[in-house]
Amino acid sequence: MVMSAASRQTDGIAVAAPPGPVPTRRQVRVPAAAFGAASVAGMVLVWWAISASGAVPRDLLPSPADVWAAATEILRDGYRGTTLWGNALSTLGRLGAGFGLAVLAGVPLGLWMGVNRAASAALDWIVQFMRPLPPLSYMILLILWLGTGNGSKAALLFLTAFPIIVAASAAGARGVKQQRIQVAHAMGARPAQVFRHVVLPSAAPMVLTGLQVALAAAFSTVVSAELLAATDGLGWMVISASQFLRNDVIVLCILVLGGLGVTLAWLMRVLDRRLVHWRGRD
Amino acid sequence: MPRALPSWAIAGLSAALLLALWIGVTSGGLVRDLFLPGPRDLWDGLTELVQEGYKGRSILEHMGMSLLRVGAGFLTGAAVGTLLGLGMGFAPRLDAAASPFIEFLRPLPQLAYLVLLIVWLGIGESSKITMLFLAALPVAAVAARDGVRNVPSARLQTARALGASDWQVLRHVVLPSALPEVLIGARLAAGIVYGTLIAAEIIAGSNGIGWMIMDAGRFLRSDYVFAGIAMIGLAGIAIDRILVWVERRVVHWAGR
Repeated sequence: MVMSAASRQTDGIAVAAPPGPVPTRRQVRVPAAAFGAASVAGMVLVWWAISASGAVPRDLLPSPADVWAAATEILRDGYRGTTLWGNALSTLGRLGAGFGLAVLAGVPLGLWMGVNRAASAALDWIVQFMRPLPPLSYMILLILWLGTGNGSKAALLFLTAFPIIVAASAAGARGVKQQRIQVAHAMGARPAQVFRHVVLPSAAPMVLTGLQVALAAAFSTVVSAELLAATDGLGWMVISASQFLRNDVIVLCILVLGGLGVTLAWLMRVLDRRLVHWRGRD
Repeated sequence: MPRALPSWAIAGLSAALLLALWIGVTSGGLVRDLFLPGPRDLWDGLTELVQEGYKGRSILEHMGMSLLRVGAGFLTGAAVGTLLGLGMGFAPRLDAAASPFIEFLRPLPQLAYLVLLIVWLGIGESSKITMLFLAALPVAAVAARDGVRNVPSARLQTARALGASDWQVLRHVVLPSALPEVLIGARLAAGIVYGTLIAAEIIAGSNGIGWMIMDAGRFLRSDYVFAGIAMIGLAGIAIDRILVWVERRVVHWAGR
C-alpha cells in the first residue's frame, strides 16, 4: 500500500505539484477542552434560543431553565413518591446484580472454553447463537417465567452480558501463544501454574474488553426493561413522565442517564488500566 | 475419551443432549407448554405463522418492516457518523467540538430518547428511524475517528515528503488505512441498531417482528414467542454475516 501510494505521488509531482501548504492540522493553540466547552455552551445557547423564541411549543421542548427547575423540584420534593437518587440506585442495583452474576459465571466458563477444546465444542454454538440475539426479545419469556419483578430483570441483564463475556474470555484464552504455554510446561510448571501465570495474564486484556462491552449493553438493556415493566428506576421515571406529559422530567432523566453511562464507561476504563497495565505490550 | 472425538461430534452431542432434555421436560409434563412449548408445538406454531401470518400480515411482511427500519436507520447513521468521524480524525478542533456529544450519546440507552422522539415526531416510522440514526452515528463516528488516528505516521510523512497534496494523502493513504476500522465500526453499529429496533418494537410498536413477539406474549402464545425469537436470532446472524462478507470483499488488505 505504501509503495503504490508513494509511486502515485511521484507521478503527481512529475505532472504538476506545487509543494502543498505546510500541514497545519496538528497545530492546536487553543486547548481542545476549550473547544469542547465552547461547543457544549453553544448547544445549550441554541437550545435556549429555540425554546425562548417560541418557535417550538414549550410543552414539546422544555427550556434549559425548565429542566433546571424540574431538577431542583425533584431533588427537593421527589417524583411521585420516589427520589431521583432512589431511582438511579434501583437502576444501578439491577445492573449490578445482573452484570455481577454474568461476570462470576461467564469469565470462568469462557476461560475454561478457551483452554478445553471439548468444552468449547459443546458450548460455543450456544453462545454464538445467543450473542446477536437482542436481549429484550427474551424479556417476554422471562416475564412469563419469573413475573414482572426484579428476578426477571436480573435474569435479562445476566443473559445480556453473559454471552458477550463468555465469548470474549474464550477468545482471550484461546489466543494465548502456544509457545508460551509450551515454554512454561518445559520449565516444569504444573497445569494450574500455567493457567495462573501464563493463560490468565495473556487473556486478561480481552476479558476486560468484553466486560466493557457487556456493561454498556446491559446498561442500555436495563433502561429498556424498566420502560417495559417496572415501578421504579430511571427507565420507569422516563415512561411515567411521558404519560404525564412532563417533557422537562424526560430531558432531565436523559441527562442523568447520559451522565451515568459516561461515568460507567470511564470507571471501566480506569479498572482496565489498573488491572491490565500490560495491555498492548506483548 | 472426549479428546478422541472431533469438535463437530461434540457439538452435535451437546445439541442432541439439549434436544433430549427439551423433549423430556415438555412431554413429561414437568413444564407447562405455556412456559416452554415442546418441539412439536413449536414446529406447529412456526408453520402456522409462516402459512397464515400474524394479525393480517404475513411473517415476511413483519420481518421486512423491521429490516427496512434497520436499513434506513443504519445506513443514514453509519454514513453521517463515518463522515463526521473522518472529519474528527483529521481536524482536532472538530474532534474537540463534537466529542462531548458523541461521548454522551454513545452510552446513552437509546430507548430513553425514543420516548422524547415519539413526543416530537409521533409514534410512526420517523421517530424509530431517527432513534436508529442516533444509535448508529456515535459508534460509526468513533470507529472512523480512531481509524484515521491510527494511520501510521510514517506513511503520512512518506506521502507528504513525496509531495502529495492533502487530498491525495486522504484519498490514497488515510482512507485505505482507516477503512478496516470504519467497517468494523459499521458492523458494531448494525448489531446495536438491530437490537435497539427490536426493543423499540417491543415497547412501542404496532407491527414488525419485535411487536409480534410482544403481542403473542400478551396472548400467552409462547409457541409464537419462541418461533419469533428464533427468527429474530437468525436475522441478526444473517445481518452480521453479510457485513463480515462485505468487510472481506472491500478490505481484502486488512491486517497486511
